[in-house]
Amino acid sequence: MKSFKTLLVGGTALAVAAAAVPFAATAQDNGDPEPVQIGLIAPLSGNYARPGEVMLMGAEMGIEDVNAAGGISCLDGAPLELVEIDSGDTVEKATNAAKRMVADYPDLVGATGSYLSSFTLAVTEVTERANLPVLTLSYSDLITERGFDNVFQTAASAGAQAEIALPIIMDLAEDQTGERPETVAIITDDTAASISSVDRMKDGLLEDVGLELVSEEIFTPPLTDATSLVQRIRTSEPDLLFFLPTVISDANLILEKMQEFRVDVPTISFGIAIAEPEVLNTMEPELLEGVLSAVANWGVKGQEELIERLREEYGEPWMTQNAISTYGDMWLFKDALEDACARDREAVGEALRNLEGGPAEYYPGGTRSFDEQGRREGASLTIIQWQDGVPVTVFPEDLAISEAKWPTD
Amino acid sequence: MLETLRSLRPFLFFAVGYLALAMFVTNSYYQLIMTLVLVWATFGLSWNMLSGYTGLVSFGHASFFGLGAFATVLAQVHLGISPWIMLPVAAGIGALAGVLIGLPTFRLRGHYFALSMLAYPLTLLYIFQWLGYPEISVPRVEEGAAYYMQFSEGRVYTVLAMILLGIVVLVTRHVERTRFGMSLIAIKQNESAAEAAGINTLAWKLRSIAVSGAIAGAVGSFYAVLILVITPLSVFGMLVSAQALTVAMFGGVASVWGPIIGAAFLIPVAETLHAELGSFLPGIQGVVYGLAIIGLIILAPEGIYWKIRDHLQKRKGKDALPTAVQESAAAEPSAPVTPVERPARELSEEIVLKVQDISKSFGGLKAVQNVSFQVNKGMILGIIGPNGAGKTTLFNLLNGFQMPDGGHVLVNGEDLVRRKPYELCRAGVGRTFQIMRPFKRMSVHDNVKVGAYVHAASEDEAEQITREALELVNLQDISQHIAGSITTKDLRLMELARALAGQPEILLLDETLAGLGSEESQDVVNVIRKLAETGKTIIIIEHTMQAMVQLVDRFLVLDHGELIVEGPPQEVIHNEKVIEAYLGKKWSAHA
Repeated sequence: MKSFKTLLVGGTALAVAAAAVPFAATAQDNGDPEPVQIGLIAPLSGNYARPGEVMLMGAEMGIEDVNAAGGISCLDGAPLELVEIDSGDTVEKATNAAKRMVADYPDLVGATGSYLSSFTLAVTEVTERANLPVLTLSYSDLITERGFDNVFQTAASAGAQAEIALPIIMDLAEDQTGERPETVAIITDDTAASISSVDRMKDGLLEDVGLELVSEEIFTPPLTDATSLVQRIRTSEPDLLFFLPTVISDANLILEKMQEFRVDVPTISFGIAIAEPEVLNTMEPELLEGVLSAVANWGVKGQEELIERLREEYGEPWMTQNAISTYGDMWLFKDALEDACARDREAVGEALRNLEGGPAEYYPGGTRSFDEQGRREGASLTIIQWQDGVPVTVFPEDLAISEAKWPTD
Repeated sequence: MLETLRSLRPFLFFAVGYLALAMFVTNSYYQLIMTLVLVWATFGLSWNMLSGYTGLVSFGHASFFGLGAFATVLAQVHLGISPWIMLPVAAGIGALAGVLIGLPTFRLRGHYFALSMLAYPLTLLYIFQWLGYPEISVPRVEEGAAYYMQFSEGRVYTVLAMILLGIVVLVTRHVERTRFGMSLIAIKQNESAAEAAGINTLAWKLRSIAVSGAIAGAVGSFYAVLILVITPLSVFGMLVSAQALTVAMFGGVASVWGPIIGAAFLIPVAETLHAELGSFLPGIQGVVYGLAIIGLIILAPEGIYWKIRDHLQKRKGKDALPTAVQESAAAEPSAPVTPVERPARELSEEIVLKVQDISKSFGGLKAVQNVSFQVNKGMILGIIGPNGAGKTTLFNLLNGFQMPDGGHVLVNGEDLVRRKPYELCRAGVGRTFQIMRPFKRMSVHDNVKVGAYVHAASEDEAEQITREALELVNLQDISQHIAGSITTKDLRLMELARALAGQPEILLLDETLAGLGSEESQDVVNVIRKLAETGKTIIIIEHTMQAMVQLVDRFLVLDHGELIVEGPPQEVIHNEKVIEAYLGKKWSAHA
């Protein structure tokens, strides 16, 4: 008897649902245009969830602003709609997530992701096969060395960043201390972006700026103990330390150990792991004071209003690459959709490949157009420095919020 | 082979049904899951091949899987070799890795084996990280993609995975039904008994890990192509080894169906949970997975397949019971109850076994000291002595389970001291155990057949030998019963038949009459006597003398490791030294 009742209720529900579907469709035909779906595939759980969440904040703000500005005018003012996909914290989870995204959201016209270069490499292996255009803030050189048509790197590649950053750092040191550093030690994790940077450095760049590599330590995140790493750096007595972590806890662990062992080497980081707000949860601001980091993108002069909104709406004390780049990606998708004038991923991909130049507003240096490899033309980087408990942009000069100081006692 | 094919009929139904279902799936993610079910089922079968059948639990199957995966991707990246070629090559690599890992690791048993297997994938994981492969992806091919096993249609992979699974099921089925599988199961149930039955256990274990490694290598290779991006963690990680173990344990260890059932249930559940709930309850699939496995271990520790099978058999068993009772009731009157008088026998002059000055000490204890004797063909020799006299040690020296400190054991003139048990078995020395060592889950017939493989060249011959051995001990009627369910007497007879199936010239029986009532022991005595009449030489250890007096041609009495008396029964039982050894000095005066 009970099962009959269940059947009856279920059957009724089905019938109602079936009847409602055509209504829903017609309602949309008559009213507002259907939204255009953009995917955000980023780590929202696990080790890298924090940067993923910040990307989500940037994406939400971007969508809000694009829609407030009238949506996609060529598509009758259709608004953008964000689809979130958790890429998890391993390469295999990211691959799986990408397969799920491609299968479950056939209406996506593009996506952005996926924080860690290793994840982006995996995700784009799947999206490329599905012709889905992907914008990425990841900067491993490998991402755009595979001959893919639908992957667009908004940041300068890691190799290019190292090329830009190293001479600036050397000049800064000479300018403020009176002598050029001669030896360098490197601590890096083995994620794709870090390895790309280090490879480029060792491949002539260090020699070009007159630095001798005296120690190189590679680790796999997450690190459980940094003692031996830091001991080896200490015994090699370098003039400079290049530091390339990706996981915040790794950055903390190593910096704490350096303090414990009193390793006072001027430290230049690459990447944003040492400039995330979480760093302050476990470290004194004094410890960080003066630490420089070369990052692909950061909140800069002229974006004060956005930075303020991020603080108010989400409680973020400052704007990292994850927020600003993902914010900018939404505007890039708007541009591409206007050019393509179609809700079609292949048309959007084509539009992205042929975007008109014009200075980039939300990425440092260069234009909004991409070269044949899918790298943003003329992309530069920002250099940030911890000053009075806040990482501020100190380079390029036209975007700098503050002036750089050489990190000495 | 034909029988193997016939037994595959249920699998064919499954394959056709599964593929038919797959054809209706258009969502590429579900297509992937359907393929992954088959991939992990195949990997589970690989684990089963080693751990399911031999009982040596491997926590390290990711080694073979990962090597196959990395070999395939690296070969395409650096040499442009197609995965179609690399799949069989990966199987070869897996097999080779299996032998290399097996050789040192099979020296260990039980938990030690399981734990040391864990070390190999962990080592490989770090090696591949150190080699600079934090991740590596299958290069995308646009022209002639099919040549590189790349298809935009996800269902093609499902079909390929099903073919791979089919091949592995066929191999597994074939192994199960031949001496390969029988030997593995014998090893699992009782390694010593397997050795005694003439099985070269190390050789079979190595063959098993090679086949298992080959399957895992091939699966790893296919997995890499399917999943596009691999990292050391994703192919050598602990979770990969656990996956093989979980699907097999969940579905049912040591059966073809187990891993398939396990994968078909666990993979979709885990994936769906992760996809639906993963973003707000990260790790939920792990929790549910864990709970499912805990529940299973409590309710069906050997896996779903066996639980269902045992249940069905129990129902079948209930129906069959009445007839079995009738049979035994009918058989009773004809069983001989009165002891048969020992007829005098002419013994052959031929010496088959000659023991010279054999000794064995355990620290300060001299268990066997300078014992010498010889045995004529067709003789029944009884070795007796009080507890601790050194009987079992002497026995173990004769059949290779222990190495003597000195002396010789000549079988037909050939010195066989220091040979392994299975070698002695092949040379014609069979044995039974004081504490019975049946292969409990196997039928009586199969228990005996394991012994028959020693000299049988083919399955048919093994079958023939098995039947004859069963007839010799009068067990033909219960040959299909499971060994775990038969009486002590029948177990004794079954062990006797297993030893006989090895077609020994000399049969060593270790307290075969222990724990039997007088009627039962008379049955066994009759069988032994019948064997002696057919020309087998029998050496029997016994603790009590009663039944032995009627049975043996000669006695050999041991005390404190020394041979004290040797002679025909009537002479020996009246010997003072013997009475003293058994009853003490006080009684020997009255004798």
